[in-house]
Amino acid sequence: MSDDLKNYLDMIPDLDLELLLEAYERPLPEAFRVNTLKLPEEETLQRLRDKGIKFRPVPWARHGYQAEEDIDLGTTLEHMLGLIYLQGPVSMAPVEALDPKPGEIILDMCAAPGSKTTQIAQLMSGEGVVVANDISYERVKALSSNIQKFGILNIVITVMDGRRFPRYIKEYFDRVLIDAPCSSLGIISKDWGVAKSWSYNVVERLSKLQLQLLKAGFETLKPGGTLIYSTCTLTVEENEMIVNKLLEERDDAAIKPITLPGLKHRPGVTEWRNMKFDPSLRYTMRIMPYDNWAEGFYIARIVKEA
Amino acid sequence: MRPLTSGERKLLENRLKRQYGVEKAFRGLTLIMAGQRRIRACTRETYELSKKLKKVQQLGVYVAKLRDEEVILSIEGSQILGDEIKSNIIELDEHEAVEWMKASPIKIKEKPKSRYVVAKHGKIYLGSGIVSRDGKIYPQIAKWRRIPEY
Repeated sequence: MSDDLKNYLDMIPDLDLELLLEAYERPLPEAFRVNTLKLPEEETLQRLRDKGIKFRPVPWARHGYQAEEDIDLGTTLEHMLGLIYLQGPVSMAPVEALDPKPGEIILDMCAAPGSKTTQIAQLMSGEGVVVANDISYERVKALSSNIQKFGILNIVITVMDGRRFPRYIKEYFDRVLIDAPCSSLGIISKDWGVAKSWSYNVVERLSKLQLQLLKAGFETLKPGGTLIYSTCTLTVEENEMIVNKLLEERDDAAIKPITLPGLKHRPGVTEWRNMKFDPSLRYTMRIMPYDNWAEGFYIARIVKEA
Repeated sequence: MRPLTSGERKLLENRLKRQYGVEKAFRGLTLIMAGQRRIRACTRETYELSKKLKKVQQLGVYVAKLRDEEVILSIEGSQILGDEIKSNIIELDEHEAVEWMKASPIKIKEKPKSRYVVAKHGKIYLGSGIVSRDGKIYPQIAKWRRIPEY
């Protein structure tokens, strides 16, 4: 890890650098979601038990489980048939915070490879419509494969720059998820290359894109609707600062608290360097990799006031 | 990408009835012709909403492919039809199901009468296979979907 990155991380309030480095050294836990669109949950779980696979529920995610030993679930029949979906336990949190309901129209603006899209569709139980968008044709191939495997009938895949969405459709969606492209400091244990190639310039570049995506997503949201902004990174510039800018620009945007039982986290940062953010940012969630010995994430729940 | 005409839908229904004994195929769903005689299925609401969107790439899931005079069901296509499939079903045990998902030919005791069958493992349907002259069944599993061989 570069000194620049270490120095940067050391400045983040309420961050224990030693624990963070320890978390980066550990492999991420093997976790999965049971696809209730195909088989009743208990039947799939029994199939896994019959194979000697031990697991425990992920407390904050419906249908989420974490394997209790190191096991490759990726080659199981259950995975190939789409009865389970492999997904990090904390990665399941943004969609739980979004709390999709059957019958709603929901936009997943940066959807590939589809982990959160399939989770949204599952919680909608086949009623309503999910619009899954991504900018990259290449990444949409993986999204499309995962949607096929999961067996989702109420889904439209679009391929465009998410920032252009409001040109075509405004104030339309009941809920919007923006799981934004980010510098990925929450999942370094999966890819150490992230730490090696980190630079503040990349963070600045990403934060411009993230703000544009957030503003576009907010425009597509119905009054009274809920938007989740999430990243798998720890920098303030990609998280609280982005949400704060939206709050500055939009009087109708309000932060709401998130309740996810059992998920260890800390409040969002409200002061950074010489800046003071909106105090409601303390209701956003900052999840360090060592909080749950899993991925690091940031989640903000924003409501468009009617 | 366009919805199936009533004639095309009827043709598909007739083939599914002849091959697999399905009475009312994909009831309540909109069927879409998506190129290379591939058929996708989605809910009506999804299709209606897609008309309001730009840059639509895909709707719902791939369920079947028309081939010569026959129809090949995808894994999800056979799962959507489920127990409406009444004939030409072969039951597989866990080992055979894994082999099926590797797209390895399956040898079963009694050679099926039909050229096309649907495999089932427990309650789960696994899509169509083609019966060869030697009595082996060749699963029609897309390459990306196969369990990798090590």
